[in-house]
Amino acid sequence: MKAICWMGTGKVEVQAVDDPKIINPSDAILRVTRTAICGSDLHLYDGYIPTMESGDILGHEFMGIVEEVGSEVKNLKKGDRVVVPFTIACGSCLFCKKDLWSLCDNTNPNARVCEQFYGYSGSALFGYSHIYGGFAGGQAQYVRVPFADVGPIKIESGIDDEKVLFLSDIYPTGYQGAENANIQPGDNVAVWGAGPVGLFAAASAYMLGAEKVFVIDRFPERLELARNYCGATTIDYSDGKSIVEALRDLTGGVGPDGCIDAVGMEAHGTDVTALYDKVEQGLMLETDRPTVLRQIFQAARKGGNVSIPGVYGGALNKLNFGAAFGKGLNLKMGQTNMHKYLKPLLEKVEAGQIDPSFLISHRIGIQDVPEMYKVWRDKKDRVTKIVIDPWRETGIDRLHVA
Amino acid sequence: MAGFDRFPQATGMTMAPSYHPEIGIAMAESVQFPRQGSEYVPLPSGSTGNRVLAHTVQTIATTPEQAYALYSRPETLHIWQEGLVSVTQTGDRTMHWVMEDPTTRKQVEFDVEVVEAVEGVRHVSRILNGPFAGTEDTVTFETHPAGRGTIVRWVSNYAMPGGVVTKIASSILSRGPQQLVIENLRHLKQLLEAGEIPSVEGQPAGPRGVMGQWKRFLMGENMPTPPGTSDRSRPQDLPKHSEGPNAWVVGGVAVAAAAGAWYGVRKLIED
Repeated sequence: MKAICWMGTGKVEVQAVDDPKIINPSDAILRVTRTAICGSDLHLYDGYIPTMESGDILGHEFMGIVEEVGSEVKNLKKGDRVVVPFTIACGSCLFCKKDLWSLCDNTNPNARVCEQFYGYSGSALFGYSHIYGGFAGGQAQYVRVPFADVGPIKIESGIDDEKVLFLSDIYPTGYQGAENANIQPGDNVAVWGAGPVGLFAAASAYMLGAEKVFVIDRFPERLELARNYCGATTIDYSDGKSIVEALRDLTGGVGPDGCIDAVGMEAHGTDVTALYDKVEQGLMLETDRPTVLRQIFQAARKGGNVSIPGVYGGALNKLNFGAAFGKGLNLKMGQTNMHKYLKPLLEKVEAGQIDPSFLISHRIGIQDVPEMYKVWRDKKDRVTKIVIDPWRETGIDRLHVA
Repeated sequence: MAGFDRFPQATGMTMAPSYHPEIGIAMAESVQFPRQGSEYVPLPSGSTGNRVLAHTVQTIATTPEQAYALYSRPETLHIWQEGLVSVTQTGDRTMHWVMEDPTTRKQVEFDVEVVEAVEGVRHVSRILNGPFAGTEDTVTFETHPAGRGTIVRWVSNYAMPGGVVTKIASSILSRGPQQLVIENLRHLKQLLEAGEIPSVEGQPAGPRGVMGQWKRFLMGENMPTPPGTSDRSRPQDLPKHSEGPNAWVVGGVAVAAAAGAWYGVRKLIED
């Protein structure tokens, strides 16, 4: 089969590799019908996640048709159409039972590596480095799905693939991002980043009762989606305006009740601290650039809720933790507990409350993927989300909805 | 799932806190002070002479009886313990083990005697002969006080020819004694809770290249995963990792790099 492989920093290639096969009795093999490039794939592409190995198959947002199931799979059969959550969970451990699916005890074959970095290991992830298990990802024509009775959700209606594909990550991740901000009716919520997770977080904040949602970014096509689809008030910081001041003005001098960091470790900034982070990251003195967290700790209202769906990998420097302490902020973060959200969010899509395909800007073939990684990283061509048809050789459909 | 009875999941704290209407805070009714605490006593670890002590602890969502049963069943030991080829019962309390170092493919055989067997509570076994004669494993099983299953504590008292030197070399080239006991108990937990041992062995990948192979070695991915409930009957039935670099070459490079780094650090301190 053809698969997208990470071959080094800034280098992905289409490779011909063996088809996956059943390894454990709860596995299923899918024929992938749609997959996507995630913003967090850029952390791998840019070399900020250290445990990638040449030849790793990328991709954690995918769906497809069941081709084969292992001897212990009871809920799926050949021909079922499913969306697969990017976190791999056993469904039986203490954490799965507590709905903390992304913290599953039993799915990471490299748990020892994760334990060295983090003390304890979370669940394995598809196509997301060897600290998270080294599982082959879904930017491929076929993929092996472990614990197939636990993760995949069957799509039994005739709804288009691209309307449900994002149940695999960005829609639940945005939703959990909003949920973790503990939104109460009447709350003001600020979202840093109008990428896919930020846009879904903004929409989800309204679903959870927010009065006003503010979205911060610098790319016009993303801000347009935030304004025109999600109903947010947008703040374009590309001219260097103070985000803290803007949010103070917009919230009656109080600050946002909820702040959502949908950016993570590769934040862009315009002030001297952003330059400082670039230097430190280049010298390997810190792994992540916490520009957004610095702004959030300043901007949040006293006693406010900070939610962090954006991915962080390691050490952050010059973070004013005293501000978080002094203002009594509540912090909540982590990988998405995907399995908790699949059914309720699918119901919202099928009921027509939201059409998650609103942010797709490019549909591409498999040979286009290496070039489109660069476009995605450099935010060129008004890109807002790229989906891949792994069975189409080449051809880029530009769907500029914004 | 596959093959093992599942334990009804934990139902939560046995002493749930209640809400005090006058004080307005959550409190456990039965808590009274003064109250006797205790001091942490470390489980055995460290090295002296040719003895190496290692330990690990896990909480497994099953009963002590079920955890004990799988741990002590000779015919299934090879499906979850790393490097174990076969175990043959030779008497009421004795077994013959065949192990294989997955890196060097060198096999070693020895007899094991069960010294103590209290079902669902404690299991002690000892190696009787061979290069590791005198090695003792003590495993205890205790019901979790808050109903989360069973706390399993595993202490290995290794008799290792070469002692500390062998320990360091084995840590570099294959699995060190501490990590081995950690991984084995992890696999026992995975099998009991999830019904299988997660694995990526044999999955497709693009060309690994030299750096990819080096990283695989550094992260211990050259160690075969025990088969668990998969169709693989023995670790050595797995696809051969022929693309892997020679273990002694990698070990030599690692030792040389470590020595160079140490020399550099000392030089810096001295300067």
